[in-house]
Amino acid sequence: MSNPPQVLGEQTQTGTSVLETATGTIQDFRPIKRIHQHLCAFHFYGYDMTRQIEAHHFCAHQNEEMRQCLIFDGPEADAKLIGLEYMISENLFLTLPDDEKPLWHSHLYEVKSGVLFMPRIPGPIERMELDKVCITYGKTIHFWQVDKGDNLPVGLPQVMMALTRDGQLDDELARDVEKRYGVSFEEGRGKRVDLTGPVHGIHPLANGGGKGLKPKLREVDCKPIDSVPRAFV
Amino acid sequence: MASSDKSPAPIPARGPDRTPPGQPMTTGQKVIDKGASMMQSLTPVKQMSQHVCTFAVYSHEMSRHIETHHYISRLNQDFLQCAVYDSEEPNARLIGIEYIISDRLFETLSEEEQKLWHSHAYEIKSGLWVNPRIPEMIGKPELENLAKTYGKFWCTWQVDRGDRLPLGAPVLMMSPQGVNLGKIDPELVKQRDDKYNISTEAIKESRVEIEEPEWINPQADYWKQHGKGFAVDIEQTEMKLRAPFP
Repeated sequence: MSNPPQVLGEQTQTGTSVLETATGTIQDFRPIKRIHQHLCAFHFYGYDMTRQIEAHHFCAHQNEEMRQCLIFDGPEADAKLIGLEYMISENLFLTLPDDEKPLWHSHLYEVKSGVLFMPRIPGPIERMELDKVCITYGKTIHFWQVDKGDNLPVGLPQVMMALTRDGQLDDELARDVEKRYGVSFEEGRGKRVDLTGPVHGIHPLANGGGKGLKPKLREVDCKPIDSVPRAFV
Repeated sequence: MASSDKSPAPIPARGPDRTPPGQPMTTGQKVIDKGASMMQSLTPVKQMSQHVCTFAVYSHEMSRHIETHHYISRLNQDFLQCAVYDSEEPNARLIGIEYIISDRLFETLSEEEQKLWHSHAYEIKSGLWVNPRIPEMIGKPELENLAKTYGKFWCTWQVDRGDRLPLGAPVLMMSPQGVNLGKIDPELVKQRDDKYNISTEAIKESRVEIEEPEWINPQADYWKQHGKGFAVDIEQTEMKLRAPFP
């Protein structure tokens, strides 16, 4: 984002940093060290295509067919962790229950159109990666609505969608991102003409099944304590 | 269409195997990853400077507890953001995100919002929250601060019910508390303690002088006063468009 809201809070105190220097040095961060890629793309809110956001994905492979990504609102040290995305192969997608499939979106359009890119990665390497991303489906949840100017992560988790055709992406947002990262989506599109998507085509239930998706909160009764067999209450 | 409190149908996406389904990484992929990580700075991820092991409770089904691994980066004195995993192994599953804020920031939230947050005082004083491999002495001053914070933890992958892929709507999690539904299964705690060769009981003893917060906002830990948890439903709706979809 070019003008992100400032997160509320005071500057970090020195005492606080003592622990974090220790932990930063002594502890290992193995799941985090698995994160090997930075991918930039756009998401929009599941029920509102007009609210779009630049999403910086930091991805790790669980295996050849599954990735898990942390999503930040920028590539800098002060970037806010706004959500996450899981990416799975077509094969894995097809194993999902039918009422789960709509929560997942296809990646074909955003890759082929050039709007999904890997900052600083040379074309040929980026291309090897995009060959695979093209065939995957993603499930993206955002928890912090920075596009609304929220300076704290309030509200409900939002299922996000990916772009699926020309005309959806806001021009101003697109130009702004191109400028900041020195990329050209048109040029990317030109080079990705021959990329192919899911073998079985984009599943009709993906991408919300063609509808919007909105979260709602519901209160549920806590089961009374007696109904839970516990020896230690 | 999807609810955080409804179990999905048993299909290949659920099963006893811990690892997600899928082919193992090819050499080609490893080469791409290696190349990418050399050229990209991955700066936001490098800010993660703390690993915490603790426990959490599903707000809609409080008999279910999980051990969690938080990888934390601090944005400022009052705000922490955490990537939460189900273990500390390299192939750990990313199960959600937690935000941690000071009591000062918490008081700026609306009452409706505060219901979604939980307090940390008990979790820390009881010794459940630990920084693996860090001597208690080093962590102590910071724990005083953290004991006064509130957290908001959304879980997106319910691994404890056997989901081999992240299914369903996100779930709101709650923190361990000292009363009934908030008490963590001792077996789970023992497993954690054995793994790290620590004793939660002993840690609790050593944290006796950590001050209790003067006051914990009653909107937090909503279940305690109100006997209610929360579920999220993802519903189909009309989408506001600016171009045809899909």
